[in-house]
Amino acid sequence: METIIEVKDLVKVFHSRGRKITAVNDVSFDVFKGEIFGMIGPNGAGKSTIFSMLTTLIKPTNGSIKVAGFDADKEDDKIRPIIGIVPQKLSLYPDLTARENLELMGKLYSVPKKLMEERIDHYLQLVGLGSHADRFAGGFSGGMKQRLSVICAVLHDPQIIFWDEPSTGLDPQTRQAIWKLARKFNGEGKTLVFTTHYMEEADNLCDRVAVMNLGKMVALDTPENLKERSGSTNLEEVFIHLTGEEVRD
Amino acid sequence: MDVRTELQHSWIITVKEFRQLSRKKALMVPLFLFPIIMIIFFGYGMGGTVKDAPILIVNDDTGTASNSLIQHIGSYTGKYGGEPMFSITYTKDMSQSKAESKIDAGWYKAVLLIPPDYSEKLAKNESVTLILLTDSSDTTTTGIIVNYMKQLFSERGSVSLNVPNIYGDLEYLDFLTPAVIALTIFMGSVATTGSAIAGEKQDGTIVRILMTPVSRRAVILGKTIYQLILQLIRAAILIMAAYFLVGFHMNGSWLLVALVLVIFTLGGVGMGIVMSTRVNDMESFFQLNMLVTLPSMFITGVFFPLSSVPDWMRYIAYLLPLTYANDAMRTIMIKGQGLSAISTDLIILSLFALITFTAGVHLFRREA
Ligand SMILES: Nc1ncnc2c1ncn2[C@@H]1O[C@H](COP(=O)(O)OP(=O)(O)OP(=O)(O)O)[C@@H](O)[C@H]1O
Ligand SMILES: [Mg+2]
Repeated sequence: METIIEVKDLVKVFHSRGRKITAVNDVSFDVFKGEIFGMIGPNGAGKSTIFSMLTTLIKPTNGSIKVAGFDADKEDDKIRPIIGIVPQKLSLYPDLTARENLELMGKLYSVPKKLMEERIDHYLQLVGLGSHADRFAGGFSGGMKQRLSVICAVLHDPQIIFWDEPSTGLDPQTRQAIWKLARKFNGEGKTLVFTTHYMEEADNLCDRVAVMNLGKMVALDTPENLKERSGSTNLEEVFIHLTGEEVRD
Repeated sequence: MDVRTELQHSWIITVKEFRQLSRKKALMVPLFLFPIIMIIFFGYGMGGTVKDAPILIVNDDTGTASNSLIQHIGSYTGKYGGEPMFSITYTKDMSQSKAESKIDAGWYKAVLLIPPDYSEKLAKNESVTLILLTDSSDTTTTGIIVNYMKQLFSERGSVSLNVPNIYGDLEYLDFLTPAVIALTIFMGSVATTGSAIAGEKQDGTIVRILMTPVSRRAVILGKTIYQLILQLIRAAILIMAAYFLVGFHMNGSWLLVALVLVIFTLGGVGMGIVMSTRVNDMESFFQLNMLVTLPSMFITGVFFPLSSVPDWMRYIAYLLPLTYANDAMRTIMIKGQGLSAISTDLIILSLFALITFTAGVHLFRREA
């Protein structure tokens, strides 16, 4: 299988108010081209921090990252145009309309105007926001925001989509719709990397799942193998087994 | 990344900022209306009209040309009509010091001294100077009298008016307007830059922007272009309002005014960026903003001349950039002086812009 993301000995240490926080502690893994790769772990496990480094937003304290063959440290300008990012905070301008939010992203990714408008209309229809195109994003429900946020990230037709917590706080219908969308993008050949707290989401969507805990990657395998290894029938148990029962802050 | 793409990206950000501004109707009030209201308020509060102000005319003129002048003053009823503005007493052969003592005693608000050769010089079309003494303890009334007299004499070609000791003191509006513009541009650029970034941090949009192929440099440039356009428009609106609503007169170069404002805006933008990197949401930004910019408003001599404040306050004022912007604006707009007169101010303001901007870019780069 062709590797599209290579992560080696990744470390990220934050210095916040004199305290040292090791958010990511020596993590190595590969993501294969065309797979759906899930990262699961309790709050503060370091998932979003890994995302920030993979998407070249922040620099690692240590270790190396290669995305589509490009070095994240030196060739971030090569990586950025080919990845799409749906941040955990939905990151939409509340005082711009849905269409204006989309156009802003399209322009920043230098999508040609005509193609951009076509894609915007297409995707708005696809996620059922066609009739809300000219409403301010600030007035959208959580589900609408999540759907708008996703299509903001794919207007430039990225090879890899990074999706931080696609379905947190959404109702079952919206979740189903989001999963369907994820499979559709994957079906078009895009690689998907996402994070989640939900076992069933990982079980349902992922080809492989990485389990994160306290900055470390404690397991990485297919959902089936993970279940088999810990002798349980659902991932929830695997997860608790691997990460412990205590609540994180 | 080539320069063209960078500039295109910056412009996309600039347009986005303007679009957001157009959505924030509530922001229009503090941005455009408050400063205008301030100028009108002070303009009329300090101006307004006067009636029956006692003035003394010492007419030593040996000819008859002064008659029409005196008549004119005597019948003047002010802008809004009604009763005569002045109640006039006439005399002759009174020395300037004697006249001053009459004002000291509170008998008159002003004394106008007409020289013996008034008619003669006027007939020969030579320049002639009249002296106007005023009661500087009553700035309101004397301000109006001085304005009126100045206007009166400006219609009479070669006649000029010498008003001892009132400079900067009496024409409060002229004194105020340039500094209000500087203040407005300063507070406006710091607050709108900083709160916008703080807001974008709060809702995560800045992170999304920074994850696109756009460089941080381009984002900052886009925001700066937006601020330069916005602040210059605000300044132009303010100057027009001051001109049309309260009769402010611009004596200097527009180009220099623009230069000072551009440099000062850059400093304000830099400061807004620096401040925004210290906070994570809008509310904390505005708290910080109060702390940082409000003292400038009261200490830097926007509303009163720095020469009239205690030493310790003046020393603090010298540490604040607004002080130098005020000075530069007044030097250009009231005194009508040129580049050399404001070179120190410009150097200090440029340093301010350079330091805040460098720090802002540096801190902003480390963000997120
Ligand atoms: N900019 C930062 N400065 C300081 N500490 C940070 C910063 N970003 C993250 N952290 C810390 O790093 C750790 C990992 O955070 P991260 O957001 O990566 O976790 P996560 O797995 O995404 O959690 P969640 O499921 O809650 O989203 C946390 O302890 C967090 O407080
Ligand atoms: Mg997270």
